[in-house]
Amino acid sequence: MSQVSLREVNKIYGEGAGRVHAVQDLNLEIGDGEFVALLGPSGCGKTSTLRMIVGLETITSGDIFFDGRNISRLEPQDRNVAMAFETYALYPNFTVEENLAFPLEVRGVVEATRRSKVREIAEILRISDILGSHPSELSGGQQQRVSLGRALIREPSVFILDEVMSHLDAHLKFRMLFDLKRLHRELKRTMVYVTHDQVEALALADRVAVMSNARMQQVGDRNTLYNRPANVFVADFIGEPPTNFFRARVVADDSRLTLAVEDSDLVLVPDEGTAAALKRSEPKSVIAGIRPQNLNLSDKPVALNARVAINEYLGERSMLTVYNGSIRFRALAPPETRISRGEAVRLGYDPANVMVFDPETELLIS
Amino acid sequence: MNQTVRDSSPSQPAWFRNKRTARPLIVARWVPVALVGLPVAVLLAIVIYPTIWMFYHSLRDTNIQGLFMGSHEYIGFQNYATVIGSDRFQQSLIHLVQYLTFGACLQVLIGTVLALTLYEFVKSNALRTAILIILVLPMMLPPSIVGVLWRFLLTPSNGAVNQALLNIGLIKNHIEWFNAGVSLWSIIIADIWNWVALPLLIVYSGRVSLPPAVYEAARVDGAGQWKVMRRITLPMLKEVIAIAFILRFTDAFKFVDLVYIMTSGGPAQSSELPTYIAFQRGIREFAIGEAAAYAIVIFAISAVIITLFLKYMKRVMKAQGLA
Repeated sequence: MSQVSLREVNKIYGEGAGRVHAVQDLNLEIGDGEFVALLGPSGCGKTSTLRMIVGLETITSGDIFFDGRNISRLEPQDRNVAMAFETYALYPNFTVEENLAFPLEVRGVVEATRRSKVREIAEILRISDILGSHPSELSGGQQQRVSLGRALIREPSVFILDEVMSHLDAHLKFRMLFDLKRLHRELKRTMVYVTHDQVEALALADRVAVMSNARMQQVGDRNTLYNRPANVFVADFIGEPPTNFFRARVVADDSRLTLAVEDSDLVLVPDEGTAAALKRSEPKSVIAGIRPQNLNLSDKPVALNARVAINEYLGERSMLTVYNGSIRFRALAPPETRISRGEAVRLGYDPANVMVFDPETELLIS
Repeated sequence: MNQTVRDSSPSQPAWFRNKRTARPLIVARWVPVALVGLPVAVLLAIVIYPTIWMFYHSLRDTNIQGLFMGSHEYIGFQNYATVIGSDRFQQSLIHLVQYLTFGACLQVLIGTVLALTLYEFVKSNALRTAILIILVLPMMLPPSIVGVLWRFLLTPSNGAVNQALLNIGLIKNHIEWFNAGVSLWSIIIADIWNWVALPLLIVYSGRVSLPPAVYEAARVDGAGQWKVMRRITLPMLKEVIAIAFILRFTDAFKFVDLVYIMTSGGPAQSSELPTYIAFQRGIREFAIGEAAAYAIVIFAISAVIITLFLKYMKRVMKAQGLA
């Protein structure tokens, strides 16, 4: 077990014209025994970050510490990290048992201890029945478990998982999520989980670190990311369906402050805290955001009036695509909702759910 | 039905349809027959027929005159008895074992070591390519040139090899490269130089295609370079190395060119291989029946060895769940 900190870490691939700045000034603190997910779209630098933690990639500048010890220049075998790979990377010429035992074999652990350790880990991962098989005879889910087992068996200080579920079907993924969560609770290891799937990240991790464009956007727990996103990217990336964004003018008189959405007659009312912040910084216009989940057919005191363009039935709910002026946005309604095209609706919301961002920096104003 | 393909289901690709009529291209029944039949006929003509012909004559007292006059008689397995009983053949078998061990096997061994060293220690792509090209060059030379070249290099009195060894101080006197007992070694040296790049290329390409993630996993698991080589790389390259062995062994059984050019089997038949004797008896001395018996015996030996290799490969692949 250990605590991991990344300080001002940079990764630059190549030189000259083909130079790619894959990770920029990244700072991240991971507590002892914490489960942190590194979330971001493809190509955002999350895998490069993880490979630098493991030691498979050199660090261009900056430092990485395990328990205060600088390990930036160490080889992977000297860092005591374990990693489960996206492609599983099992040794094809070994049986499952040999695969699991290999990290111990390398460390010169005697045969008998190796055997009992393998039995133990196979028990936890429920793969005792396939110990004699070769990787090519296993299903994706079984290979996945074996690769997790191989990483877990030697009690590493940090346990790193790289997109380990991206090749599993939805049903299996759901079970593996549950198993991983259970493993983390039982073993209390520091775990870093890299994924592009927010469902996995939010379900598993104590805290989620959102990356985009080589930079860390925000680190926080589920509620923070969802309700107080640091910037437009996080507000857009976290949550399904994505947040509605509006360009709006700030209209302030003595009594109250409202946001008039451009190209429509929509008016958003922020809560008092946000209003006070807007009064202090006095921007002329802002980007306002509200999640479809927070717009409902209800008789709340504040509401957006619009007409329905599309009513999509999504099983457990209906998604309304509505318009006002030339602005289109989305709201969620109960599945049995019967509204047809062109009908007027009143979508109530809570002022606390209105998010306001600076149009230049795209940072949250609060 | 006199047409093979009638189904015009829309799943057929566009090229399959006749553009003008927009109907599926109709292939007459003789087309597939011809496409398969022609290669089979060629194979029959140049492989199967000669083999049967050879087996037929291995049981007869055919010589060149008898061959053209059609006068040869059935003599049972007498040719085989002559071949197997002759000192010349038994000696050549020992030579063959010597050649297989120090020629073919050593080539595969050196090739494997070179390939893996090149992969592990030369990281620049341009340099790797340059080294590969240099190592492959000897393979592109015709055997006649290789033979002549090495005869020059190994000339005892003023050949380059002896001169070099003398200059370094490794030897005090000239080595008589073409004396009895040494001449076969000279051929083996030339052959290694000539063919070492083949196993090298095979093993190198095998190593290149191994999944890099497995090596990263091994690094993270803490395995050192030697451990990775012994426990992961070499086991994963088993089939590939077996293929290199098979190719060099099959070549060994038809290995005549360098023997003919460098020593002509001499001095005193001391560097003869079985195939060379077959060639000598059949083409030079016109003992067609006996040469045929030689060929059949060599065929049998090679078939046994290659079958063993294939069995081994099948076992390896089965163990990894590939077959």
